[in-house]
Amino acid sequence: MDHLLQLLVNGLSSGAVYALFALGYTLVFSVLGVINFAHGAVFTLGAYFTYLLIGGAVGANGLLAGLQLPFTLPFPLALLLAGVGAAAVSLLVEAAAFRPLRRRGADPLLALISSLGAGVILVNLLQLLVGAESYAIPTSALGTLPAAVSLGGAQVRTVQLLLMAIAALVVVVLTLWLERSRGGKALQAVAEDPTTARLLGINSDRMVQLAFGVSGFLAGVAGGLVGLSVSIAGPYFGIGYGLKGLGVLVLGGLGSVPGAVLGGLIVGLAEALVPADYSGFKDAVAYAFLFAVLLLRPRGLLGRPTITKV
Amino acid sequence: MPLDASLLVQMLLGALLGLSVYLPLRAGQLSLATPGFYAIGGYTAALLSTRFPALAGDGALYPLPSLLLELVLAALIAGALALAIGGPVLKLKGIYLAIATIALVEILRVLNLNLGFTGGATGLFAIPQPFEGPVGYLLLSLAVLALVCWLCARLERLRLGRAMEAIREDELAAACMGLDTARVKLLSFLFSALVAAVAGVISAHFLNTWNARQGSFDASITTLAFVVFGGSRTWLGPVVGGLALTALPELLRPVGDLRLVVYGLVILLGPILFPQGLITPELLRRLRWPFRQTSAEAPAP
Amino acid sequence: MNQAPLSGSPLLELQALNCRFGGLRALDRVSLAVKSGEIFGLIGPNGAGKTTLFNLISGLTAASGGRILWRGQPISGLRPDRIARLGLARTFQNLRLFASMSALENVLVGLHGRGRTPLVAGLLGTAAFRRRQRELEAQAFNLLELLELAPLAQQSAGSLSYGNQRRLEIARALATGPRLLLLDEPAAGLNPAEKSELSALIRLLRQRFDLTVLIIEHHVPLMMDLCDRLAVLNFGERIALGTPELVRRDPAVIEAYLGGAVEEAS
Repeated sequence: MDHLLQLLVNGLSSGAVYALFALGYTLVFSVLGVINFAHGAVFTLGAYFTYLLIGGAVGANGLLAGLQLPFTLPFPLALLLAGVGAAAVSLLVEAAAFRPLRRRGADPLLALISSLGAGVILVNLLQLLVGAESYAIPTSALGTLPAAVSLGGAQVRTVQLLLMAIAALVVVVLTLWLERSRGGKALQAVAEDPTTARLLGINSDRMVQLAFGVSGFLAGVAGGLVGLSVSIAGPYFGIGYGLKGLGVLVLGGLGSVPGAVLGGLIVGLAEALVPADYSGFKDAVAYAFLFAVLLLRPRGLLGRPTITKV
Repeated sequence: MPLDASLLVQMLLGALLGLSVYLPLRAGQLSLATPGFYAIGGYTAALLSTRFPALAGDGALYPLPSLLLELVLAALIAGALALAIGGPVLKLKGIYLAIATIALVEILRVLNLNLGFTGGATGLFAIPQPFEGPVGYLLLSLAVLALVCWLCARLERLRLGRAMEAIREDELAAACMGLDTARVKLLSFLFSALVAAVAGVISAHFLNTWNARQGSFDASITTLAFVVFGGSRTWLGPVVGGLALTALPELLRPVGDLRLVVYGLVILLGPILFPQGLITPELLRRLRWPFRQTSAEAPAP
Repeated sequence: MNQAPLSGSPLLELQALNCRFGGLRALDRVSLAVKSGEIFGLIGPNGAGKTTLFNLISGLTAASGGRILWRGQPISGLRPDRIARLGLARTFQNLRLFASMSALENVLVGLHGRGRTPLVAGLLGTAAFRRRQRELEAQAFNLLELLELAPLAQQSAGSLSYGNQRRLEIARALATGPRLLLLDEPAAGLNPAEKSELSALIRLLRQRFDLTVLIIEHHVPLMMDLCDRLAVLNFGERIALGTPELVRRDPAVIEAYLGGAVEEAS
């Protein structure tokens, strides 16, 4: 029973990461109808930013070898700033890879490729600057907080609690923002119908930037948290998460906030429940789920069916 | 000059993979399953030629009959899988299909990585070489590519090719004209699988070793980039895209560490500068490219 | 090949057809029968369910209840391509041509079902294949000629004028060899001259191809002049059915929709 509880906690906390990832995708998808393939790279950058801001030093390889910031920030502040930095990068990606195509009303497929190019550039620049080695954000970054707490027999690491709490907070804030605030409503209006939204005086370019900014922020924060909970396994480490986030996104239903969360939790839990002997197959669980769900419900669990006008 | 025979082989295989992505896309289906079928082809060749002595080394069937046998068997396996999953998967539209096929590739990759007979993470080694040097592979891949190109060029002028184009333009209207859209889409998916599997067989021998990395998500997107970069409206597009983008990282070696950054830049700018891809039917018409006239000439009055 | 419908039974029959989208009732127990050889009109205000009815008949939308009979056989639930191959062809209100293909190729897609040749023969380009190919192209060209589109055969469909696109849709539909032609607002967007030619064209096509025509159109005078019988839909219900003369005098119709327009026309 304790064992099961432990698995649940592990599953929920990795599910929280997937959900944060998928939320970032879903925000951009709902305004533009395309997937941002640079999202994984932005997540990676968020992790590196966090590492640097808490005073971590760059290793011996890369152009920035030995670099260390002259100050050390407490983890929460570093995480926040890393989110802001990731948001800035995300805006850059939007300006370079999406806006020129959007201006021309080009096939959304093209943005898939150009954003992939942006991702390749970011990841390889990063490798050039800081090398390919992996970094760890020490748990001491949490300061006086204990590394783990005991919860009904299960050992729950503080960072896992943090992940779950932050993911829950993000979902609540994001939902409230989308439903209640002017900005959020404008974003939804653009998602529903860009032309009408423009007629109503909503600047859709601004809304797209907003979506990219928020999604970049979420990715950056997720990156920092994963860096703390697991480690930063080199400049490519975001790609695997990014791909799984994509699966989670479609599993839940493109463009649906609760869907992204539900998908993330399902995949996280399912992966945690894979017996240790078969842990090699863990990575296939998300995709097997996705595959099965798509065949039964082509628009994902919570995706809305679209009615084609004839 | 890094443009040697080995690189040329890789470029030709790249062109084949580009065509494999192109074929379903021609029927409007964004399938990224190509690396999965490519992996199946590679594993078929690697397993057959390393596990069955008759097909390798001094075996009676070595080298050409065994190579042919591998090609046929790989095509059969990939084709059977394509037909089995194609029905339900091709009901998905647009990005849903793309992601479902990425999921398929990932499932296959994880299976290959963990199943015993595929050699796990290390993969399969010492795959016999039917040819002494890269020139043999060069001729073989050139012959296969020429055949596939010829088939694609013919296809564009056939009823089936026209049906594929109509589905790409408007699937619903095509169905209302009596086109069995499910069947046409399935055929294009099947062709895609066959081409990828054949490329995999050649590649496994050429590389001498095969592992799960050969069919991964990166490859899905790279092969899609071949098509988007080269152009998706005529078969020449993915061929040019596949050749160019496979060669690019090698040709960029002189820029050293920056090469992958430049590669990314090219992929970023390609769709922005050439939204139709480098090669378009209009361009070919202007250049008087002889292999694709307008597919139907008006009868003389 | 004049296949009369089975004794007494109509060519197309709708029995108590229902269609709901969520809470919205798009069609409410609509019944009607189209007889072989007639031009049958469907009129009604916007949102009355006319196009929905077409979508049900052509298999694009599933009915929530009721039956569709084609020559006495139920066809509800069949895929659109099967229905098209049974001999029901349609045009679309919001033009759905294959825009980047030439006008001729658009018609050739319509001829798809009649072009069956073995794939191998096609790949090798055998003499028989090329002969068949030329025959099909000649057929397509004839259809374009009939609709006065022949000089535009090589132009891409998307570059044609609105009126020409409307006629190309008809040519493409005719290419499938239909017994019943469903026209969804063929006069929309046409100039007055084109509109006045449309009636003559539809009559000509009926005679030439031995067609039955089911037509949706807003232009009431045109419908009164063209149709043998009319059905009037309002809020998903069939409120009237009969000859133009009968429908014109139907109080329910005048009440719901026609009033002003009829006076204007007469």
